[in-house]
Amino acid sequence: MNGTAMGIECNEDSEVEPVAACAAIDPTRLKQIIERAALLLPMQGPITAFAFLNTLQALEHLPFHEGLKQGAKLYGCRPYMPANYYREKLAHSRKRVEELSAVLLEDLGDSADVLIGFLGTRYHMRLAMLQYTLRMADVTELEWLIAESDALRKFRADAPGLNRERTIEETRHWVMRDLRNGASTRQAARISADASEDQRIREVVQRLFEAFGKSQLESWSDDTWEAYTLHLLWHVCQRGVERVMENNTPTQRWLRHRDAILEATGEDSDRLVHEALTRFTACFVDQGFAGWMLPGRDQGYFRAFKAYYGQGKGPPDRWLRGLKAEIERLEIAGMTPIESIGESLQMLGVDETEADMFISATLLALRGWAGMLWQLEVRPDRVPRSVAPGTLIEFLAVRLILERIALTHLATRPNVATQELQIEQPLAKLRTVVPPRETSEEHLTIDQTAFMLFQLAQVRGWLPRDLHGLSQADWEALVAEVTAFSGLERRRLLHITFERRFRTHALDAIAARVRRAPIEVSKPRFQATFCIDAREESFRRHLEEVAPDVETFGTAGFYGVPMYYRGAADAHFAALCPVVIKPTRWVVEDVVYNLEETHRRRAVARRALGTASHSVHVGSRNFAAGALLATGAGALATVPLVARILFPRFAAQLRRTASSFVEAPNVTRLRLERLESTPSSEGDGIGFSLAEMADMGERALRDIGLTSNFARLVLILGHSSACLNNPHKSCYDCGACSGQAGGPNARALAVILNDVRVRAILSKNGLAIPDETYFIGGMHNTCTDSITFFDLDLMRRDHLHDFEAAKLTLEEACRRNAHERCRRFDLAPLDISLDGALRHVEERSEDLAQTRPEYGNSTNALCIVGRWPRFRGLYLDRRPFLMSYDPTQDDEEATILGRILGAVVPVCAGINLQYTLSYIDNSGWGCGTKLPHNVTSLLGVMDGAASDLRPGLPWQGVDIHDPMRLVFVLETTEQAIRKIMARNETVRNILQNEWAQLAILDPHSGTLQVFHNNTFVPYKPESTTLPHAASSLDWYRGWREHLDFALIGDWA
Amino acid sequence: MEFMSLLHPLGVCVVVAPSVLLAVLGVTTLVGRPLGERSAIRCMQASVAVGLACAVSILGIMLSTGIREVPIEMGDWVVIEAEHFHFHVKFIFDRLSVPFVILSFVLCGTIGAFTSRYLHRESGFGRFCVFYAFFLLGMVVSVLAGTIETLFFGWELVGLSSALLVAYYHERQNPVRNGIRVWAVYRVADAAFLIAALAMHHLTGAGDFERLTGAGAWPEGVGVLTSNQALFVGLLLLIAAAGKSALVPFSGWLPRAMEGPTPSSAIFYGALSVHLGAFLLLRVGSVLASSLLLSAAVVVIGVTTALYAEITARVQTDVKSALAFASLTQVGIIVAEIGFGFRYLALVHIIGHACLRTLQLLRAPSLLRDYNVLENAIGEHLTRDKTIWERLLPESMRSWMFRWALERGYFDSFFNEYIVSPFCFVFKTCDAWERSWTDFLAGGKSRVSDELATPSDELIPDPEFAES
Repeated sequence: MNGTAMGIECNEDSEVEPVAACAAIDPTRLKQIIERAALLLPMQGPITAFAFLNTLQALEHLPFHEGLKQGAKLYGCRPYMPANYYREKLAHSRKRVEELSAVLLEDLGDSADVLIGFLGTRYHMRLAMLQYTLRMADVTELEWLIAESDALRKFRADAPGLNRERTIEETRHWVMRDLRNGASTRQAARISADASEDQRIREVVQRLFEAFGKSQLESWSDDTWEAYTLHLLWHVCQRGVERVMENNTPTQRWLRHRDAILEATGEDSDRLVHEALTRFTACFVDQGFAGWMLPGRDQGYFRAFKAYYGQGKGPPDRWLRGLKAEIERLEIAGMTPIESIGESLQMLGVDETEADMFISATLLALRGWAGMLWQLEVRPDRVPRSVAPGTLIEFLAVRLILERIALTHLATRPNVATQELQIEQPLAKLRTVVPPRETSEEHLTIDQTAFMLFQLAQVRGWLPRDLHGLSQADWEALVAEVTAFSGLERRRLLHITFERRFRTHALDAIAARVRRAPIEVSKPRFQATFCIDAREESFRRHLEEVAPDVETFGTAGFYGVPMYYRGAADAHFAALCPVVIKPTRWVVEDVVYNLEETHRRRAVARRALGTASHSVHVGSRNFAAGALLATGAGALATVPLVARILFPRFAAQLRRTASSFVEAPNVTRLRLERLESTPSSEGDGIGFSLAEMADMGERALRDIGLTSNFARLVLILGHSSACLNNPHKSCYDCGACSGQAGGPNARALAVILNDVRVRAILSKNGLAIPDETYFIGGMHNTCTDSITFFDLDLMRRDHLHDFEAAKLTLEEACRRNAHERCRRFDLAPLDISLDGALRHVEERSEDLAQTRPEYGNSTNALCIVGRWPRFRGLYLDRRPFLMSYDPTQDDEEATILGRILGAVVPVCAGINLQYTLSYIDNSGWGCGTKLPHNVTSLLGVMDGAASDLRPGLPWQGVDIHDPMRLVFVLETTEQAIRKIMARNETVRNILQNEWAQLAILDPHSGTLQVFHNNTFVPYKPESTTLPHAASSLDWYRGWREHLDFALIGDWA
Repeated sequence: MEFMSLLHPLGVCVVVAPSVLLAVLGVTTLVGRPLGERSAIRCMQASVAVGLACAVSILGIMLSTGIREVPIEMGDWVVIEAEHFHFHVKFIFDRLSVPFVILSFVLCGTIGAFTSRYLHRESGFGRFCVFYAFFLLGMVVSVLAGTIETLFFGWELVGLSSALLVAYYHERQNPVRNGIRVWAVYRVADAAFLIAALAMHHLTGAGDFERLTGAGAWPEGVGVLTSNQALFVGLLLLIAAAGKSALVPFSGWLPRAMEGPTPSSAIFYGALSVHLGAFLLLRVGSVLASSLLLSAAVVVIGVTTALYAEITARVQTDVKSALAFASLTQVGIIVAEIGFGFRYLALVHIIGHACLRTLQLLRAPSLLRDYNVLENAIGEHLTRDKTIWERLLPESMRSWMFRWALERGYFDSFFNEYIVSPFCFVFKTCDAWERSWTDFLAGGKSRVSDELATPSDELIPDPEFAES
């Protein structure tokens, strides 16, 4: 984020004593401070394993809105959407004012009835401020508005007509009767408490008469009177505010020297520092892209830096001139990184009291790279080239040295600004020499406040006469009221209203649905388990529509099998489990023994081809090889170029055919069972013990409540997403598998549950799986809507028919699901056919130019944890995460729900908040648009040629998201959920601090309770009717936007 | 020969097709009614298709009839007799321009198709299309130019659209900064070009390449200039070419140009724009041949650039910079080939390189996937063997070379310190003098702009409390 001001300042007031020499901070304490600050850095590790975590996870101990406010300040990002966004979204409903009013009343609590003079209650005033779009502008623009626009000539168009007429009428009477003849008239009544104010208003009235043409006063048109009234109103408001307010804007002390020097000289020291740091850090963390490694990388960041910048004959940059001497000094003094930080802080005049804020602000200034260093330091298992512990400290030491050098350079450079300010060394005084910055953006000036009241007066129908008559105290109250209900506060309430609209709609639909009977399938043809992912909602719905005799379940997509996994054709292990878990077991895929020879042959072929294409890849960028290649074969590149861009499907088929000759044979087995007692990543240490497998199997079944009524066939489906040319591919894969394909987990679970020894253990534990039940693992490709199955060669002959029938059913569901997804893609026509839709989604996955291969979890907004039959038949528009859970099988302590929520709450809330924050400020919390992204160091993306690393989601991944907190609907009781919250701190923080919304559905009755301010309040549905549609297709056809929920199917 | 009569209209069509595209996209935007995504794309496709079809037909006719050169006169567009000034527009189809124009249409067309999906729903879609049209027209005009003034016109269009596309994300600081930098380097190159054009007019009485390079179709022309004249004009043109093709010492801007959307980086800096300098040298090839010194200078610059880019490319950690320097390596070699007089080789090299690099740049976001695929095939993390440099150089030298390469040969630093900074310093000092003078006259603060708050460094302010 080059050049963006960090919104962090010390709030200590102006009395700053010149810091001559502050004491050095103790190194251990410094270390703690840095580690605390490190928690604020983005937690996005390498982009190839996208971690869906709450962007503000470090602030989860705070209530949501408070955390958001602090986060916004800390990261310099926008906390909510602009007010207009919410207004537009809310505009479509007649219930808008009702909703605003309900939210406002709840927010105000008892203080709603506080009277503001005789102008109404606080509630009324705030409601008006929410309901109407109040214009606000900066000082210069406001001057223009007043002088040039229609603001003082015409009433606001949305002001109630009655108010307008009455105000003009009354004002006309008032000025004609009471004020017209000026102060000299004896009869003039005292119209306010203060005689001098009366004098003043008379002068204003006279002046305005002159301005509007006094001579034709009798023949003034209505328009003239309207303008006159507004002018008077504006003067009254302005004067009233002036009486109680002064224009002294609060100032804030500089926290970072960079902000001070930027203000004073217009030169940004961060630009210099970041250019050097970005280049150096990218080399330091490079995972093997560059052909030439940073010399001395193994000696750590600090020493490599010293070696790099300490050598002679460097570039002629003036600002770097002092660096070599400084490095020599550090070297001679034998300074360690942490000591160097202490010294730098001392030189910069940062004492212990502000060290916390200073260090976090300094680290956050280049947070992408700093965060990546920290991630590589704490999770060395995720990359081939990790960094040594303590690297972040070394980075900070380097950063502060560079900052000192840059600041000194800018402050002592001869130019006008430095002359005027007399900025010289030492740097310690820099922040006190530069006058503090004025105003935070939330502070209003007199005119701004007056303009606010001026607009309020129009919509609320306040008369100039009445306003003029207000006492000093009344004005104080009025101004305090406007100031307190700042733009940020208004946006907060608009945001809550926006969330409330969806929550009400969702809960109404659920309440209406659970009043009807659950859809139980007594003898299911087959059962299918899917990931909790919001994308699978529509798939399951279509499957249930195609085959009403099928049962579906949802659960976290790693299926309770956390492992490092390596496929038959893979080079490395990948962690397949939520990013918060660190697996302890390894699993590999082996080609079956009788195909071993083919496998080996093909591996050799692949290796030869790989080596060759790597040589071409590298060679094309070289001198001689590049020249030969470009001259000799370069023109041939037009063939793939044109083919892949103009005919992506054809090109993809061709490539598939070609690569099928060298693919690993597809008859493989998972090496799941461990032969040795200690697990390891090779040989017989691979796999799980039998007991572990039985445990995982039992837990997986009990979690989703599938303990009886087994069908003959149970499908377990993981998911992944295929797409091209997309560094963010991993954020479309399974979030519960650290952004990897979840197929191997599903396959592993199926193998485990088919194992007779496991079944024996389970049946001893009271979970009997009938002999004729067979589990099949598979993987749903959410981009192309296709399904692949594993281990079909092991299937018993008597399941063949079941499987073939199931496969046909699933294929139909795939077609329908693809069709429903197409309604969100502008490039697919709304009248596309089912087969056309399937082709369209396939093409998206094969297109180099496609930046939106699919929409991932963009539509998430809801998470339902409960017995699916109670919800089945609802059209939920791909908005919910669906977790199956049977409260009747759970114990008193809600053990099952507890372990479900332990993963589901942080994961789903994390996904939701990542989408929501990335949407709210896409270039701040997200990573901006994909188009200029540039993959760097094989770890992440930058914008263009050089920038900070950009964590978060790209605009193309979130642009259809609705920014709101996830609504959890749990089928459980208050006691149970309270017990879980007491046990689990993460769950408690998220739910109690309302980082997600929570409602519980009673397992026995259909009543809902909503959790707010730590209390459960019974929910009263606002509407009890739920629309019907014969099929999903009938409901969504022709629409591109989010849709309302509805009942699907044949409901009497 | 019936075919022959077709040549003229076809040739006109090749130039008119992109002009119409620019007119349609530009005018609709100007009057505030920009075309929708689909219509804009359709216009782009139609224009490229027509242009390409005409160019290919011309090629066919030329091949079948054996004509080597087809000039298309458009007459003098501006004539000021008193000043002896004329702006002569003429296009020429020959062995150099026909392959180049076909290449331009094929690559631009492919990129256009790519863009239609890549920039889908992007707010600047229309803006991109207008820049694209500028670029296409500029490319076609410069490639077909038969006079130096026509070439200059196209050259400017290409420069303008390139700089604007670098600064495509104008809400962020870096792209704008880098856009200005590219623009500034182009100015220097263009100044040299302009002087060269004037000198040519002065020496030969016209800007016609025919006059300059003597009779005979490309590449057989024989220069009419004397060796010294050729050296003078040639050096100026070499500066122009060096600026446009980012040759040493102007190389600093090339990686900075990767700020725009991927397709624009691909087409401009990977494929077409970066070769335009080499094209210029090819066009005036006979001038180069007239002076041994000049040819030597071209070879030296070419080889230096290639070596510089080769070393620099090795330390780049991001894919787009690596590709940018890889491109530069080849451009350097191409320039050296031209210096040696291997004109056909250079032409083939340019075409091959442009296609290859466009494909690579468009696929740049696939880097992670490609690496994964390669690693899986090879079965281990990808490593590179140590290069000769690394084995032979002493450690301290290696370390110095690394820094030199990572900081891109210090070219940027040299420019900043010895050209940009003094330049800014002079103007800021003048500004300070003026301020103190006007303050003195006004008897107080004389500048209203000083009183206004410093604009926030976010170019688009966040509507924190603005609700209008």
